[in-house]
Amino acid sequence: MNWSLFFGELVSGLTLGSIYALIALGYTMVYGILKLLNFAHGDVYMVGAFIGFFVLQWLGGALSPAVNGWVAIAIMFAVAMVGCGALGVGIERFAYRPLRNAPRIAPLISALGVSIFLQNSALLLWGPQFRSYDTFDLIGVKSYSIGNNFFISNIQILTISVSIGLTIVLALVVSRTRTGKAMRATSFDRDAAEMMGISIDRVISFTFFLGSALAAAGGVMFGLVFGQIFSLMGFTAGLKGFTAAVVGGIGSIPGAVLGGFLIGLTESFATGYLPGGSVYANLYVFALLIVMFLIRPTGLLGSPVIQKV
Amino acid sequence: MKKVVVAATLAAALAVLATAAWGSTKGSSRVAAPANAGNALVKCGKTRSIGLLAPFTGPAASIGINQVHWANFYRNAYNRSHKTKIKFVNEDTQLGSANGTAEAVKGAQALGSNSSVLGVVGPAGSNEVKATTGALKGAGLGWVSGSATNTQITLDGTRTGFFFRTVPPDSSQSKSVSAYIVNNLKVKRVYIIDDQEAYSTGLADEVQAQLKAKGVSVGRDGVSQQQSDFSSLINKIPRNNQLVYLPWQLPPKGQAFGQQMKSLGRAGTKLMGSDGLFDPLFAGLGSNVYDSFFPVNPSDARVAAFKKLHKGTELFGAPSYVAAQVVTGAIDRACKNGTASRAEVRAQIKKTKIAASVSLLGLQVAFDKHGDMVKKPFGIYHSVKGVFVRVA
Repeated sequence: MNWSLFFGELVSGLTLGSIYALIALGYTMVYGILKLLNFAHGDVYMVGAFIGFFVLQWLGGALSPAVNGWVAIAIMFAVAMVGCGALGVGIERFAYRPLRNAPRIAPLISALGVSIFLQNSALLLWGPQFRSYDTFDLIGVKSYSIGNNFFISNIQILTISVSIGLTIVLALVVSRTRTGKAMRATSFDRDAAEMMGISIDRVISFTFFLGSALAAAGGVMFGLVFGQIFSLMGFTAGLKGFTAAVVGGIGSIPGAVLGGFLIGLTESFATGYLPGGSVYANLYVFALLIVMFLIRPTGLLGSPVIQKV
Repeated sequence: MKKVVVAATLAAALAVLATAAWGSTKGSSRVAAPANAGNALVKCGKTRSIGLLAPFTGPAASIGINQVHWANFYRNAYNRSHKTKIKFVNEDTQLGSANGTAEAVKGAQALGSNSSVLGVVGPAGSNEVKATTGALKGAGLGWVSGSATNTQITLDGTRTGFFFRTVPPDSSQSKSVSAYIVNNLKVKRVYIIDDQEAYSTGLADEVQAQLKAKGVSVGRDGVSQQQSDFSSLINKIPRNNQLVYLPWQLPPKGQAFGQQMKSLGRAGTKLMGSDGLFDPLFAGLGSNVYDSFFPVNPSDARVAAFKKLHKGTELFGAPSYVAAQVVTGAIDRACKNGTASRAEVRAQIKKTKIAASVSLLGLQVAFDKHGDMVKKPFGIYHSVKGVFVRVA
């Protein structure tokens, strides 16, 4: 057994899974509230990565930031999350709300339209070239080792920690706050919640804000860990996030996180151990999805919905 | 709703697989040139048009723009010193972008249908050369690349008499690389990672075979050009590996790979790139970075003038200057009687003889029967303070 490879893939999988988990949370929350598959979510993640990049440039760039590197990262996260939160609210207000009572296929098509709109706007505004976060210059990436086999970098630790931290905050918001209770009520029965005096529009907007902010955090993390961002990065990441949400059981917050880590680990271990894995990791990821559906159609933590017939 | 989710997910998965399948087959089309391809005579006039296929945008834009600058540098110099003028008809190939070589093919088709275009400079990538063959050859155009180095694109006979290049082939590059790794770096364990494109896999195969023949232990893997996360792949590289060879086309990817190597505690491993990574982005990774690159005469006065004009920019595009020089010279000779056909221009490209003193490469430019330069040396460079310096 090559333990160095095993632990390496484990850390890489958890890092990648942290990013997928944050994207999956947005998918699952919006689905939980609106029963809508928000396919523009991956592109919100891309916009978040770009906002983080431009904030870093505004702060003087990675080589000579006007503030300490870690402070710069905190500001990048904050601005990207607020910016994308606002973008999510805007998308919901103008692309989905007018279609709330339309047949379900209409908002789905609208979501695809918003996705393409965001992708092409990014291409137009920022071009197709790669942008580098230059994390090395910003904080001086360090690698820590335990024995001869376990290696992890400070930026990987940051990514996994921030992801877990944000998930805990989200869980607390949903379970312990008045707004969270309103979200749960709206998810359970929108009409009944409205009759009980809950402002449905406000709850849905807040849900989009939260989901988009988490996706933005994922985008900034991607830039920090993997170094580079580009206009079309949202498509594949969005698909993986969506897959994670479905594997975990769409509508379930713990399921989204579990699904994210599972997809990340599958991709990483497939690359490390399976033939042709470094080129065809996506094949293994989506094969897992198909197998998962055959065995457990509701996902790992999803529960079957009983419908009155 | 469960069924909708299942259906949407499966559709998404199928879309990914279909995209991958399309990407793997689209470059394989071959179109034979019609018997009379390019025989139509056009009036040359005072201003002659040359197609310029290059990655103006996209992941390879950093090297593409450099090629465009060098080609334009030649055009401006020519136009200043001649009564007749040349102009470029630009087409962006977006080398390395998500839609593969589709943009290059579109650009080639546009040039083919533009009757004023008599010859073409570019495209940059070997996979693009393969993909655009049908469109360019079908239109009877001759084309000269300043960076496509895959050995087989001249030897397979598909585009003989139509395609030429002002860079040496990978068979020359691979010999220089493997010799330097064994004789100068004294490395015994090498890991080669190709990027799944024709240029990359061809060069990787050659270097791998040569290193193995010299007793070096060689590991081999591949990545997609679209990939940004290399951490899982880096974990697979044995810790006692001494050098990673990256015959890649996209400098930002080379930079990302190097940065991720460092962040995973592999800063001590040497990196060697190929001509596609001859860029400040890759050189900036540190002093353990090496690269192989085309012959360019650094003491040529035009190199100094170009660097002054473009603020110390790199030399990657210099062979595109020579490619523009080749096509322009061929058009001038074909246009001696006031008219020219694309076939005549092709014939003149074949007869090119640019003396070493004016070729910018420091060697005579003439083509063999395959379209390769007769003389084909390759240089090895080492990154010193973020700048590549020739060491062999």
